[in-house]
Amino acid sequence: MADNTPTLRIENMTKWYGDNEVLKDASLSINKGELKVLMGPSGGGKSTFLQCINFLVKPDRGRIWLDGTEIVRARKKEIYNYRQKVGMIFQDFNLFDHLSALHNVRIALVRVKGMSKGEAQDRAILELDRVGLKSYMHQYPAELSGGQKQRVSIARALAMDPEIMLLDEPTSALDPELISEVLDVIRDVRSGGMTMIMSTHQIGFASEMADEFVFLEDGSIVETGPPEKILYKAQYARTREFCSKITELYGNSFS
Amino acid sequence: MEELFFLQPEVVSALVKGFVVSVKLIVPSAIFGFIIGIVVGALTVYGNAFTVAIANGYVLIFRGFPLVVQLFIWYFGLPYIGIYLSPFVAAVLGFSLCSGAYQSEYVRGAFLSVKTGQTMAAQALGFSSLKMVLFVTLPQAFRRALPGCGNEIIYLIKYSSLAYMITCIELTGEGKIIASDSFRYTETFLVIGAIYLLLTSVAAWLLHRLECRLQLPGFEQYS
Repeated sequence: MADNTPTLRIENMTKWYGDNEVLKDASLSINKGELKVLMGPSGGGKSTFLQCINFLVKPDRGRIWLDGTEIVRARKKEIYNYRQKVGMIFQDFNLFDHLSALHNVRIALVRVKGMSKGEAQDRAILELDRVGLKSYMHQYPAELSGGQKQRVSIARALAMDPEIMLLDEPTSALDPELISEVLDVIRDVRSGGMTMIMSTHQIGFASEMADEFVFLEDGSIVETGPPEKILYKAQYARTREFCSKITELYGNSFS
Repeated sequence: MEELFFLQPEVVSALVKGFVVSVKLIVPSAIFGFIIGIVVGALTVYGNAFTVAIANGYVLIFRGFPLVVQLFIWYFGLPYIGIYLSPFVAAVLGFSLCSGAYQSEYVRGAFLSVKTGQTMAAQALGFSSLKMVLFVTLPQAFRRALPGCGNEIIYLIKYSSLAYMITCIELTGEGKIIASDSFRYTETFLVIGAIYLLLTSVAAWLLHRLECRLQLPGFEQYS
């Protein structure tokens, strides 16, 4: 693969809910190893954008290329294969309630990737160890804290060997004191070179880690640029206003 | 000596025969009914407009027609189009289809109780719709549906007594023969009633055991 081929390229993603255009011609391109942070007010289209990227929400228009190959949406098989390469982390974890932490991580390896149970189990234990939860592997979601659940969900996504990860406000549903354990894991994954698109309000963490900020409002990408530019020298008044508010709120709260 | 009538060997053997027929009717009907319920329930929740329409139509008809009318149609009606079913097969068919219609509603509710986030997570991991239902939502829905489905199975045990209307002589049918031969209606049907009570009690106990076995943290039914 040529170095200049972006890992993921999204063009003119558009989504309507009834008469409401929640995503307007959003385009984004991300290279291997980059982290792009989506920010902007709630309801601005961040979640929809992320969910359109792996077709959990069907975009009305828009094209996607992974490593230079366009994903043909009409072919279900192709979508299933593509989704295996795109890890997704949700705001409310979405662990499978009837499975232990170990089986949450293992199930897709066995049922989707077709690995043998033993092999999948070894891999799952390895990933749980990586997020520091090996000793919790037999616990069920109902027995885990929010932070632990989110770490299991990260292990579950990592076990699939994704090329890129999408993180949809991974810490927004957590108690303040549980946020840092999840951010530590994300930082660790990031330093392993994982390509990521993340939406978050953790502005301190984001500006420390991100290569680029993408400011979304009313479904449009208003402005993109390096964190310091968006935070302190944004071109548009709306971006500046949002950033100053959010810095005030979350700016010093990160580790 | 008439009081000892109920101990007469032929009466006992008739009751045993009827009991065996009843169990043979109930067990497959319960299993098929539950399977139909799961398939129809899944089609209503995860299917497209077409499968939803089919499933809704099925539930409407089989829940709406009186069961005895359904049995008459299977047994007396089908021969008009050249299909002859034995009384036993017609009864199992009728019970399964009727039970499945009720079961599907419990199963549908149970599928809907699985949070949509989990179906999104499964899809995001590359699960196909079928695998998602089989490995993610069904194991959870099954647990949640059990109390309701168990209720329906208890009900099935009792409406299996309608089979004698299409000449499949099960427990109630044998009872009716004994009673009309002896004119001891009260005694006979008290005994029959007690046997049904025994059957429903055993079924309730088995279902309870199953629920306990399937209990997981987060899926507690009994505290």
